[in-house]
Amino acid sequence: MKIRRKLLIAFSIYMILALIPAVFAYRELSTLRKRLKPVEAASDITSSYLELRKNEKTFLLLKDRDTLQLLKKQIGMLKGGLDDIESEVLREIGAVNYASLREAITAYETGTLKLAENFNTEQLTINKLTDLGRRIEKVLDGSELQTFLVLRRHEKNLMIQRDSSSMDVFRQTSALIKSSPEADLAAYRTSAEKLFSLYQDEKQLENEIRNSASIIQTYTESILQGERQDIDALLKISMNLLLASLVIVIVIGALINARLAATIAAPIREIRKFAERVAGGDFSKTLEVKGSQEFISLADALNLMAVKLKDTVSSLELAIQNLHDKQGQLVEAEKLASLGRIAAGVAHEINNPLAIINEKAGLMQDLLAISSDFEQKKSITAQIEGITGSVNRCRTITHRLLGFARRMDITIEPMNLNEAIRETIAFLKTDILTKAARLDLNLAEDLPEIRSDKIQLEQVFLNLIKNAVDAVAAGGEITITTSRKDEGAVQVFISDNGSGIPKDKLNHIFEPFFTTKGRDKGTGLGLFVSHAIVRKLGSRIQVQSEVGKGTTFTLDIPIKPTLSKEMTA
Amino acid sequence: MNKIKVLIVDDEHDFAATLAERLCLRSYDARIVVNACETLSLIDKIKPDVVLLDLNLQGISGIEILMTLKNVSPEVEVILLTGHMDIARSIEGLRLDSFHYIFKPFDIRELTEKIDAVTAKHGRKQGNEHA
Ligand SMILES: Nc1ncnc2c1ncn2[C@@H]1O[C@H](COP(=O)(O)OP(=O)(O)OP(=O)(O)O)[C@@H](O)[C@H]1O
Ligand SMILES: [Mg+2]
Repeated sequence: MKIRRKLLIAFSIYMILALIPAVFAYRELSTLRKRLKPVEAASDITSSYLELRKNEKTFLLLKDRDTLQLLKKQIGMLKGGLDDIESEVLREIGAVNYASLREAITAYETGTLKLAENFNTEQLTINKLTDLGRRIEKVLDGSELQTFLVLRRHEKNLMIQRDSSSMDVFRQTSALIKSSPEADLAAYRTSAEKLFSLYQDEKQLENEIRNSASIIQTYTESILQGERQDIDALLKISMNLLLASLVIVIVIGALINARLAATIAAPIREIRKFAERVAGGDFSKTLEVKGSQEFISLADALNLMAVKLKDTVSSLELAIQNLHDKQGQLVEAEKLASLGRIAAGVAHEINNPLAIINEKAGLMQDLLAISSDFEQKKSITAQIEGITGSVNRCRTITHRLLGFARRMDITIEPMNLNEAIRETIAFLKTDILTKAARLDLNLAEDLPEIRSDKIQLEQVFLNLIKNAVDAVAAGGEITITTSRKDEGAVQVFISDNGSGIPKDKLNHIFEPFFTTKGRDKGTGLGLFVSHAIVRKLGSRIQVQSEVGKGTTFTLDIPIKPTLSKEMTA
Repeated sequence: MNKIKVLIVDDEHDFAATLAERLCLRSYDARIVVNACETLSLIDKIKPDVVLLDLNLQGISGIEILMTLKNVSPEVEVILLTGHMDIARSIEGLRLDSFHYIFKPFDIRELTEKIDAVTAKHGRKQGNEHA
């Protein structure tokens, strides 16, 4: 699977997991928002109730109509508030409690109204009592009046104290009065009794109202508290959900991260190891990565790179090897070049005196030839021949050396190898005939045209074939074979069934002036020069020889020479 | 008197004198010039058939003489004598390879054959041979 897809899936799962609690939390919170209204209403009810109680106290104190009106209004508000959130209240406290709440409110209302009525009656009674009191005061005199005045004081005391002991005192005192107008006194007494009973009723009603109020208080408080608890619960759930969401975000996120990191890190580790191996030059193992497609294709690319790198490294190694070889050749070529220059210089310096010797000796021969016989003529003639012979030998050497020096320059052109061999053989025909040697030509006709220096190659063939002719006995056999070696090279084999070269001499045959043919016959430069030419042309010369069986020289000649400028200097 | 006139131009007196003597023995009219500067006037005076010119002359370059000679008296045959193959090659480089040259040291027969050959086309025949 692709890392991209993996990441996408992981991210989606992560998001979903994190979102689920968040969605629930959102739902809870929106419920909470709806629930806030009943809470407000409940709190309104509670505050209406508190207001009600405050007004109730005022009313009980002032007993006036305005406060009563206010009280009524607040009772109405309380009822309305309850109606508004009836369903919540029902849920909160249950139907039975709700009924008793409503009952308590009604009781409170009726109690209040009754109380208000009582207050009216009380006022009327007080007025009547006061009037009667004043009337009786006017009628009485003496000790009776004194007693009555005391009674009036007790009357006031009753109005303030409103308890039964004050009433008892009032009754005892009133019993002391006898002479007053019967009707008025009776009425006075009755009024006082009525006032007392009104006070009793008021007390009763006030208690009732207080009871109702306390019931209302209990319920409203429990409603508010219930609503508060609900909201608390909702808040708790939301908080928990949010917490869960947070935990999921953190824990699942961390898990997914760890997992992803592992799926990414493991292949990367593999790749790193592989890179280190490759850097260390170890191409033996290929990179194998399991997991994501990207890594697999990366591994493929890296493997390909390693293969290419391996190729490059080996070709570089080859190139370095070649370079080493080339450098060796170059050094050799440089050595040869300077050797050539020295040889050329020496040869030139020697040629002029040699020419003088040659001419002088020649003149001596000329003079001897025209002079008459004398005692040592023969001997002198022989000596002079010795001189000219040596001069000839020197000339051969210097000419070869000069030729070698000259061969330091090469001219590359397209050439036919077989043709060059045939031309060389034509040049050597007399030598071969003289030796009565048999020549076998095995020239591959499909040989490609090569680029090389024809004249110099012919020089090499000449030297090698000449050596072969020298090596074979009369009637010996010389075989020349050409063939394609590989893509870039052709081969020439020059074999003879002659004397062969002993092992201890084989190492020396390419050295200059090494010859086994005697001073008169060989210069020992043939193979040296050939070797130099062959190296210059980027070719190779090898020799295989067995004493008594024969010798084979093998030439590897590139189809296109790889020559450096320096080498052609 | 129908001898081939040969002028040897070589600052190596020993060589030139010996060679001249040997050529005279072979019935050539051989003379020598050792001073390169005199060469041209001498050629004008004696009008040789063949000039044997050493290319390694001191003072004046053999090639210079050769060029002048070819311009002044083109009928004169020149055989270059040289101990140095590179000089011969540099002449080749000048595209003067129609010249004859012979490397020192050489066999006298090689030289006389060449002299005879180059003069033959002028209708002269030496036919003089010494053992
Ligand atoms: N085909 C061969 N069979 C046997 N010996 C050989 C052969 N080719 C070369 N040699 C040996 O290697 C020696 C060196 O050979 P090289 O061609 O360098 O010089 P040379 O032949 O002796 O002299 P020059 O080439 O001047 O005639 C020879 O003298 C000979 O001993
Ligand atoms: Mg040889």
